[in-house]
Amino acid sequence: MFSTDHKVIGKQYIGLALFSVFLGMLLSLVMRFHLVHPDTKVRLFQMLWPEGAPGGQMTPELYLSLMTMHGTIMVFFVLTTAPQSGFGNYFLPLQIGAHDMAFPVLNMLSFWTTALSLVTLLLAFLVEGGAPLSGWTAYPPLSGLGKITGPGQGLGQDLWILSIAMFCVASLMGAINIIVTVIELRAPGMGYFDMPLTCWGWFVTALISLFAFAVLLPGGVLLLLDRVAGTSFFIPGGLIVNDQVQGRSGGSPLLFQHLFWFFGHPEVYIAILPGMGVISTVLSVFSGKKVFGYKAMAVAMLAIGGLGFVVWGHHMFISGMSPYSSIAFSVLTMAVGVPSAVKTFNWLATLWGGRLRFTAAMHYALGFVSLFITGGITGLVLGQPGLDIYFHDTYFVVAHFHLIMGVAAVFAIWAALHYWFPKMYGRFLNERLGKIHFFLTFVGVYAVFVPLHFAGFVGNPRRYPDFKEYEFLKSVTGLHMGVTHAAYFLAAVQLIFLFNYFWSQRRGAVAPGNPWGATTREWTDD
Amino acid sequence: MTNVARTGQTLLVVASSMLFAAVTSAMVVRRGIGGDWVAPELPAWVWATAVLGPLASWLILRGWVRGAVIAGGLLVGLQVLVLAELRMAVIGEAFLSVLVAAHAIHAAAGVAALARWGERAGLFWHFVGALWIYVLFLFGVWA
Repeated sequence: MFSTDHKVIGKQYIGLALFSVFLGMLLSLVMRFHLVHPDTKVRLFQMLWPEGAPGGQMTPELYLSLMTMHGTIMVFFVLTTAPQSGFGNYFLPLQIGAHDMAFPVLNMLSFWTTALSLVTLLLAFLVEGGAPLSGWTAYPPLSGLGKITGPGQGLGQDLWILSIAMFCVASLMGAINIIVTVIELRAPGMGYFDMPLTCWGWFVTALISLFAFAVLLPGGVLLLLDRVAGTSFFIPGGLIVNDQVQGRSGGSPLLFQHLFWFFGHPEVYIAILPGMGVISTVLSVFSGKKVFGYKAMAVAMLAIGGLGFVVWGHHMFISGMSPYSSIAFSVLTMAVGVPSAVKTFNWLATLWGGRLRFTAAMHYALGFVSLFITGGITGLVLGQPGLDIYFHDTYFVVAHFHLIMGVAAVFAIWAALHYWFPKMYGRFLNERLGKIHFFLTFVGVYAVFVPLHFAGFVGNPRRYPDFKEYEFLKSVTGLHMGVTHAAYFLAAVQLIFLFNYFWSQRRGAVAPGNPWGATTREWTDD
Repeated sequence: MTNVARTGQTLLVVASSMLFAAVTSAMVVRRGIGGDWVAPELPAWVWATAVLGPLASWLILRGWVRGAVIAGGLLVGLQVLVLAELRMAVIGEAFLSVLVAAHAIHAAAGVAALARWGERAGLFWHFVGALWIYVLFLFGVWA
């Protein structure tokens, strides 16, 4: 249980992410149900959340708390853990010829700190007032004043901040471990540009984590002090909440946004860069060709990682910003499109003229490329201040980030699982079930998220618990009904994956040592 | 010191520097826009603690790690005394509290590392000593 073996820890991270992703998905289903049936009383809701759903009628506060927990669980405990800490731990040492990670005990501590962080977060459901309402971004003043701002804003929000602070520490420890392993433990003669692109993905992601989480951590501490120690880092003077003057002076909510998004935007790349590495490998192996433009791919990852730290302002165009700053952030945001396009071009060029083998892993990899393009294009739309001012906080943004950051990254996880399952368990994941799951999921995710762009065009705000009071949203009622049913379908389809994952561990076809004919070291190394 | 230990400590220094840079930049912004900034006044003896970091570093280089642990432990203890005097409701003192507490955690970790690994943990301690001088400079000269 407290193993220091990198393979065990890798599997532990993947297990934690698997639990988290299904929990996060269930929360989203409850939210989607409520959006289209806002007046329906559900006995189960009352059993689960007696305060949040009296008589089975979900309150707006409960909806917001579910949204907060869905976002937090998915961003931190799924997208940050599985691609980087899960697969990175398992395969990085094997691929560079290292015996283990550089600091095995620190590695074990990283995982258990992450696990403790998840438990702390989930405890927020159980305490008085329930889970916090302020979203995964936890903007003050809502998040900084305590329970006067809402039922979940008392102990629930405290636990949320503590959980994220612990997660920061765990991620910093993990990042240091990965970077040192890459720098110091590569096999003799293996240069940086001899590493597989998967290793580049983990390496660059660890570099990003090192700088990003070191900023989120103090941001969280300052926020916690505003709540418990009466400081005014982020709480402005003269603020009146529920007819009570808050007695603070001079704090700036915008300051928190700067600290948060300095972490928050690189976090997007923390989620997606390891996936980019995996996809490069999978496309290459199943095309029977080397990755096209290997060095450009590695440099593009570095460029994406570097640019990620100078674009945070595009999350704040509407928060109050000089137009000159907006232009600077906008131009830099557009610049991210260049290395992203390099990668996309090179993936397609890797496929070009190859002898393609359409395995399940290859399907997911192609699905990733599709989702990356679809979700990435709307990033260029949102990166322009003029358009963002209209689209800000609408479902257009929800659709954008779910496709690029959420679904694309999860498709990369599925590609990685199908590809590396034989190494991890000595058996194949069932190919037929994998392909069925892929096609149904691929249709499902587009059915959920493409319509949400149109809701955004209409100006449909996100984070609203229901739309029944708004005349201008009557036109999207049917659209939301369709999206909710697509979400039910998508969730049901995941049972195929779940069955395949557990069944194949025991009953899957036994795999030979290097089943895909790959050229990387993990298939020959124990 | 092995390459792994040196690189690991260097990265820890990078992460810690980033953390202190984040708080510093937050302080610069908050000081400029709040309209309620009052520079915290520190007792004169606090400035004398600036020598404890370099003293411990010198002792490490001389091979007397136990002396460095004592000097480092003294620094942590004095930092706790400083913290007890600060008022969180005054924004300048609140920032100072955060930086002193963050430094005290680093210093305590540095002392524990010296006690556990001896001179091999010296690199991190040298950073911790310099970082304390930076914190004092920030409040003594700039803030």
